[in-house]
Amino acid sequence: MIGFIKKDLAMIKSNFKLLGILIVTYSILGLLGKLDISFLLPFITVMIMISTFSYDNYNNWDAYSICLPKGRKNSVKAKYLATIIMILVISFITGIISLLISYLNFKVINYEQILITLLGTIFGTLLVITFMYPIIYKYGIEKARISIFLIIFGLFILIGFISKYIDFTFISNILSLLEYYIIPIIIILMILMVYISYKISARIFWKKEF
Amino acid sequence: MEYVLEVKNLCKNYDNFALKNISFNLPKGMIMGFIGENGAGKTTTIKAILNIIKSYQGDIKIFGLDNKESIEKIEENIGVVLDDMFFPEILTPKDINNIMQSMYKNWDTQLFNNYLKEFSLRDNKPIKTFSKGMRKKLELITALAHHPKLLILDEPTSGLDPVARKEVMHIFQSILEKEECTIFLSSHITSDLESIADYITFINDGEIILSKTTNELLEQYGIVKCKEADFQKIAQGDYLRYKKTKYEYQVLIENIKDFQKKYNIAIIDKITLDDLMFLMIKGDK
Repeated sequence: MIGFIKKDLAMIKSNFKLLGILIVTYSILGLLGKLDISFLLPFITVMIMISTFSYDNYNNWDAYSICLPKGRKNSVKAKYLATIIMILVISFITGIISLLISYLNFKVINYEQILITLLGTIFGTLLVITFMYPIIYKYGIEKARISIFLIIFGLFILIGFISKYIDFTFISNILSLLEYYIIPIIIILMILMVYISYKISARIFWKKEF
Repeated sequence: MEYVLEVKNLCKNYDNFALKNISFNLPKGMIMGFIGENGAGKTTTIKAILNIIKSYQGDIKIFGLDNKESIEKIEENIGVVLDDMFFPEILTPKDINNIMQSMYKNWDTQLFNNYLKEFSLRDNKPIKTFSKGMRKKLELITALAHHPKLLILDEPTSGLDPVARKEVMHIFQSILEKEECTIFLSSHITSDLESIADYITFINDGEIILSKTTNELLEQYGIVKCKEADFQKIAQGDYLRYKKTKYEYQVLIENIKDFQKKYNIAIIDKITLDDLMFLMIKGDK
């Protein structure tokens, strides 16, 4: 299993420079108080992880991985874990930078606000992989590219629709009732949706022939 | 005799192709050459052996264990080179070493690095910068560095120049001398196999045409070269295939000695695997 995770992380090491540049840009913009692009970092991380599927596909890695010890079982699990590791690491770095920016700008540090922003971003990125990965495993990265666009586009439409027609006071009332439980609920929801997504992908891969 | 690989009545149907009752056994410590033209079913058979395809009929045993039920026990002791399937090309040999250390209990970093040096492969260059021959060598090295007991190699010499092919063949022989390894090797470059394979299994259009020891094949089988008048004298059951050329008939026979006892035809050549493949596929019955 560790070998498979190492492989996915080794594949994105060439993108570390890009992530580094983005982190520096985010830090500078934050310090100048211009623009908050913290949400972008984990999303770009997910996009980089999705790009590894193209390399896998080009060299028929999936078929080869089946011949490696516990390949059918661990290949998919490792892809999810590597993605989650990267999202958490980048989110953690983003969180630390947000704290530093607040500190250096002599602002009152709102820990809760930073945590909620981070959790929201992690939730969003995990939502993308929850939908994307099973589609990629089922139809391959080439066909899945269109669905990446459709899912993101669909999410925007959905959010737009919800914000127009749904009374947010009702939702905020529910959220305020759950105030003390909201963070654990989001965390449980994230674990649940990624677990279900993983199970679907693993099942697809287990049955797949190359 | 102890068999490392046993394939029995393997069948797999596709829309325009089928494997039909593939059966053969590979004894321990031997090299079996799996020959046949492109599209004959070599890769499909190998994919079934390795569980890359699952929905087939028949039984496949590796080290005496069912390849579906006990795959996790089997995989640790198998090394594979597959046609056009490998690590993503942005990785380097160094990455592969690092990854494989965590995959195989028996991964031998020193052996891997020794092979890299022997084949002049830089460990910090991405695979995409390698030539086809260099990639193939890296695939082989990766298959060998965990001391597998069974090597399954699909076209391991395709794309290699004659010098590199000889190097690879030499490695196979030295592995067999040093380690307790069995090799199942598919190739359409049959000249490579004549010198190293103990057994030859020949597949054509999804069917096994023959599976014999290489000595048996090269010593007993022959090509009779004769005029039409002589060919007419040969009973149909005494030859396997024939091909009419501009000047002569080339007749494939199964046993030179038996044939010589029966017929007084002077020119009988010993066979090469190339001849055998050509006549079995293109010859008339």
